[in-house]
Amino acid sequence: MSRAIPTTARNSYRHISQLLSKPAWSVRALLPSEPSSTPTITPKQLHHLLRLSALPQPSSPAAEASMIATLESQLHFVRAIQQVDTTGVEPLRSIRDETAAGSEDATISVDSLKDALENEETWGHCQRPRRRRDAPVDTAGIEDWDVLTTASQKVGRYFVVKSAKGAGTPES
Amino acid sequence: MPRIPTSELSRYLLAGQLSRRGCLRASRICLQPVANFQTRRFASVETQSTSVPPTPLRKQLKEQAKALKASGQKKKKNIDNQTVPGWELTVGIEIHAQLNTVRKLFSPATTSFNDSPNTHVALFDLAIPGSQPLFQPETLIPAVRAALALNCDIQRVSRFDRKHYFHWDQPSGYQITQYYEPFAKDGRIGLLARDGIAAEDGESIAVGIKQVQMEQDTAKTTAQPGEAHWLDFNRVGMPLIEIITLPEIHHPATAAALVRKVQMMLSAVDACVSGMEEGGLRADVNVSVRRVDDTSGKLGTRTEIKNLSSFKAVEDAIIAERDRQIAVLEAGGVVEGETRGWSIGSTETRRLRGKEGEVDYRYMPDPDLGPVVIDPQLVQRLASSSGVSPDVETDQLIEKYGLTAKDAISLLALDGGARVQYYYNVLDALSELGAETDAIVTILAANWCLHELGKLTEVSSDLGMTADGECKVPSRDLAALLHHLCRREITAKVAKELLWAIFRGEVAPGGVTEAIKDNNLWFNELSKAEYEALADRAVEGEDKVLGEFLRFADGKSKAYPRGKLMFLVGKMMRAGPEHRMDPTSAERVMSTRIDDIYLDALGNKQ
Repeated sequence: MSRAIPTTARNSYRHISQLLSKPAWSVRALLPSEPSSTPTITPKQLHHLLRLSALPQPSSPAAEASMIATLESQLHFVRAIQQVDTTGVEPLRSIRDETAAGSEDATISVDSLKDALENEETWGHCQRPRRRRDAPVDTAGIEDWDVLTTASQKVGRYFVVKSAKGAGTPES
Repeated sequence: MPRIPTSELSRYLLAGQLSRRGCLRASRICLQPVANFQTRRFASVETQSTSVPPTPLRKQLKEQAKALKASGQKKKKNIDNQTVPGWELTVGIEIHAQLNTVRKLFSPATTSFNDSPNTHVALFDLAIPGSQPLFQPETLIPAVRAALALNCDIQRVSRFDRKHYFHWDQPSGYQITQYYEPFAKDGRIGLLARDGIAAEDGESIAVGIKQVQMEQDTAKTTAQPGEAHWLDFNRVGMPLIEIITLPEIHHPATAAALVRKVQMMLSAVDACVSGMEEGGLRADVNVSVRRVDDTSGKLGTRTEIKNLSSFKAVEDAIIAERDRQIAVLEAGGVVEGETRGWSIGSTETRRLRGKEGEVDYRYMPDPDLGPVVIDPQLVQRLASSSGVSPDVETDQLIEKYGLTAKDAISLLALDGGARVQYYYNVLDALSELGAETDAIVTILAANWCLHELGKLTEVSSDLGMTADGECKVPSRDLAALLHHLCRREITAKVAKELLWAIFRGEVAPGGVTEAIKDNNLWFNELSKAEYEALADRAVEGEDKVLGEFLRFADGKSKAYPRGKLMFLVGKMMRAGPEHRMDPTSAERVMSTRIDDIYLDALGNKQ
């Protein structure tokens, strides 16, 4: 868009170019100045974190020390981020259409559930709702793929996994 | 004193044998090697006890029952295990319920139950790289109705979060749930005495619902021998709601009653697929104890017992865990915050994992999913189409139809809610036949729908009850039967026989009246004169029995000898043509004739 630029704005542009002419901050600030002199992560914590992430444990003490060093430098970065004051700032979870139209579009209303609501019937003495179970469901392009090709081991139509003894169910 | 087993009682009453268990036997054993005279002395003691006639024992049993009743301990089962003196129990419950939807929570694959394994799986359900979650808005229909039934505030905006853990039943390495901003909050569930809460909770109690959230189910694992597990991903990603109560429950029976009521309320609004028995509902309980005189105001350390799959398991697991914690504390130990398991039929909970093994779920907002924005009008629409609530229905059954609370609850619970609909169908058919549906008829119909129908089969599923309330005994036919019975056109005995015939398919649908006609089953009742003749014959040679009535008439005995009256009526019934007699009529005639005629005659004789 070509437009006459007002003088004040022109001045502030000059200010910006001045600002950009010299770096005020370096990525280097996010790296520890010297390799972790006093590690805050214990080997035990490292093992726990690796387990949580389903990653292999270190193969040697040297590998362990190197992992801890890497983690320390990453933590240095994380701590710097944590310094930023975010009071009153709503976290950005993802980038979405936040305009009124976009928000209305995302709202689930009676109209957006019209088909499903029409597939209900009211029944019996107490006039309760009931979903008609015999209505056909279109799953074209959804379920018609060979799920079991992704299995490394299978028996019949089942995926098979082997567990070591003592591996408990973490959740259900 | 414990109840005496029937076998022991019958040995005593029929064969005059006294049990030698307990103190008698113990003494005998230890006395065996001792001198002869002592054994003899004991033998004589035994003879003495066996020679006592049976009546004192019966009296003794009666007195025991009386004493038990007087002490208020008749319901020993409940009172015994609901509280532990000096300790307060606190319980919070998390209930997972499978939502009744066509499709999964984040993929358009269909929900299924017992279908061929791995046939309803979308790419996203297996976390195939590049696949994205797609919230299925229809999920809101059962989810919102369930939350409304629990009196929750439905949030206009709610969001999904990832809960991370690695397990084979969760291909993406995280479960999508609503941790930070659930769709429903601050609910409440009211529980009444009739719902089966502990006696200590009185007539009613309200338990707060902290929140209700939508989340994904996991794949179904079947353990196989040799450390192998078979996986069926049909279940992965199916929609669940998790209902979290506040820790406001203090008695095990109340906890079980809450889960039972939640199941009833969810199924009333068609929100869940199946009940606890079929695995559609699972409960986790958080249990802690503290001393009654604890002044810190803080609850004790809690443990969580996961995956309880029946109402009884909920109650039993809480009792076992409470008792374990109390034992630990009384021994000077400390309760560890840990996760425990429970197997049906066991007597104690078992440790699954402690704090150190605790998973750090690293909850984070799911960036792939937008917020769920619910239009308040949709909430209104779902509320207005939820029908009559089970509480209101129970009130109606009690107040309008005159049922007892127990019968009302049974009627509602049977056949997954279909039995009560059958009852309404019978009542409708009765009014179509022109019957007055007053309390006499509604109570009679309820008795038949519950008890007489119940006698037909060992398990109620054999009745073939459909969701619309029809079964092998069509509601119209039962109504026709009851209509004839109410008008005293058939006897109760004939009615019961006919019910069997209808159940076995021997009476064509709609052919009840025909069947009565064809088999000449009409109740052709004896005339008054005929009843009187039978009564006269029955009292012949019963002067002694009649003497009891005289004693009552003369004020020499306080209670009317009703037993004797029924004895005489029984004689009448046996002497006469039973199919033409109604015990009530026979009783009326007999009682009138005793007062008007027999007693005078007896007085003259004496």
